[in-house]
Amino acid sequence: MNEFAVLAQLTVVAMVPYLLASLGTMLGGLAGVFSVSQEGVMLLGASVGFLISYGTGSTALGIVLAAAIGAVFGFALGWATTSLRLDQFVVGLALFFAATGLAGLLYRIVIGQTASTPLVDTLPRLEIPLLKEIPVLGVALFSHNVLVYFAGLLAVALWFFLYRTRAGLNLRSVGENPKAADSLGIPVARTRLWTTTAGGALMGIAGAFLPLVYTGTFTEGIVGGRGWLAIALTFFGGWRPQYIAAGALFFATMDVVALRAEVSGIDIPSQVLLVIPYVATLIVMVFAFRWARVPEFLGRNYDRESRTG
Amino acid sequence: MTAPVLTEPDALAPAQPSLPARLLRGVLPYVLALVLAFVVAGIVIAALGYDPFQAYRTIFTTSFKTGFGFTETLTKWVPLTLLALGFTIPLAVGRFNIGGEGQLLVGATAAAGVGIVYADLPTAVLLPLVIIAGVLAGVVWAGVAAFLMGRFRVNEILSTVLLNFVSFQVLDYAATEVWSDPAAGVAATRRVGEGAELPTIGGPPGVHAGLLLAVLVTLATIVITRRTAAGFELRAAGTNPRAAGINGIRVERVAVIALIIGGALGGLAGALEVSGVHGRALEGMQSNFLLLGIIIGLIARGSALWVPVVAFGIAILEVGASSMQRTVGVPVEMVLIIEALILIFLLLSDVIAVRLARRVA
Repeated sequence: MNEFAVLAQLTVVAMVPYLLASLGTMLGGLAGVFSVSQEGVMLLGASVGFLISYGTGSTALGIVLAAAIGAVFGFALGWATTSLRLDQFVVGLALFFAATGLAGLLYRIVIGQTASTPLVDTLPRLEIPLLKEIPVLGVALFSHNVLVYFAGLLAVALWFFLYRTRAGLNLRSVGENPKAADSLGIPVARTRLWTTTAGGALMGIAGAFLPLVYTGTFTEGIVGGRGWLAIALTFFGGWRPQYIAAGALFFATMDVVALRAEVSGIDIPSQVLLVIPYVATLIVMVFAFRWARVPEFLGRNYDRESRTG
Repeated sequence: MTAPVLTEPDALAPAQPSLPARLLRGVLPYVLALVLAFVVAGIVIAALGYDPFQAYRTIFTTSFKTGFGFTETLTKWVPLTLLALGFTIPLAVGRFNIGGEGQLLVGATAAAGVGIVYADLPTAVLLPLVIIAGVLAGVVWAGVAAFLMGRFRVNEILSTVLLNFVSFQVLDYAATEVWSDPAAGVAATRRVGEGAELPTIGGPPGVHAGLLLAVLVTLATIVITRRTAAGFELRAAGTNPRAAGINGIRVERVAVIALIIGGALGGLAGALEVSGVHGRALEGMQSNFLLLGIIIGLIARGSALWVPVVAFGIAILEVGASSMQRTVGVPVEMVLIIEALILIFLLLSDVIAVRLARRVA
């Protein structure tokens, strides 16, 4: 394994939380619901995923329950913004707080104060036979844990669903022009509900990825802004899976570069390296907001009886 | 993407609703939200095996039993109110300032820097300089987001949040490389000069004089947002951007200015934390003020008049929380859940109250 292959492999792993959280954001957003609770839901997913794995020894169960709790929060967002027509940003922030508080509380209840750090086994690698023999690419792409493959396949599947099927077109029409969609018999509220629910589940998994792959343990700062970066990434990717995947590669590269530069001992203050992902994102957004298009009805609630909407 | 704005309770009501309808809309949601939040949290506390009544008694009495508790509550009230106002002012134009944390931290770093470098100056010169430095740093920090928003239409939620993460490193750099104090245990700057420290009023133990400044700023915000042309433009631009634009209000400019003012308040909060509380800038000094500031702003429905009141209530909860963890054993995280529940139930009971009021009126 040469240096480059290892770096490429690290980058692919680092892509996953961004990719999953962004695809989740995109899914709700394409139906018109803008979530701002990623950071909290990911933290909750991390907490639940870690605690369940720690308690039961089953990583799979941890991931499933992290997805489930994320789905609950996604459903709450969908329900509050369709049935109750509450402001999406306000509800999103409220859910962000609730999830953040719950994440910390659950950890405190189950683990409490310990002298040693509780650890779980990180996800095992599943090497794909034959494919992993390909030089460089084999190590970079086909020697990963199951969630990495899942994220990659999901991006492809979502692209196909959204842009190559009628159901996907219907879904997108809800986020573009819900009135027109409604007049054609597409269930606007139901579409928004299932997309936010599925999106929340993806954010939960994205959160669970962090303790179960990176650290093996839960800390309060484990998400470290990835939830917010995922929103930026979704804008940057123009709410399309293929560009989001490309953006995730960019974000992951930033992460790995910052990490590598720190390890290699270049004479740059570590603080400068650590702000690279955030500053790069700010700069990229200047361009992203110019060319990226956004679902027309994003962030607004649909009211069938409204005269203006 | 235009964000719908929170409307104050009466803005949407008919011109002369009946008294019961007005009461239902105004008071009922708060009562419902508070009761429900504490009941739900109480059930959780009981399910965890603690005594909810004892927990709540501790939360509510800690601030009033001792002078120390009350002082701590007032000390917490200062940054909470300032950050909440820093959130609500841009909110009036429909913009979300989620960067209070970053604005506070760079404000604190700049204030500490001035306080350390010019440590020998007398109070009359140094103290104003320190506070101005903090405010200016907050202005610059929010100014970056405001510029990106006004010039390039970069979503301000994202830019303000991302700048928070940059600010952690700014503080860390100042605290470990520039003015580090190795004896402090955490990443912290050296102490500022004596001239940079705010005097204490009242007491003992007493509260730092920044409290007065915060009260003045709050009063000024209330008067300006409710009684001046600038405040009218602010609210008009938020309530109906299109109508405001047609009538000659430059909505985007108002939004940019509102965000910068929000940053100034965050920077002020940081400067006051340095010169009134810690005497230095240190890692973790932002506590969870950002989340609480946003919760306060949202519970107060963006009204500058209610922010200080709600902030006082939240300060009581926060001070009571740590004492609850010590004596009853309930984790402090419970209080954040209670606060989030109050907000969620307030939003939900709004819906109920609107439906009830419609029926009564």
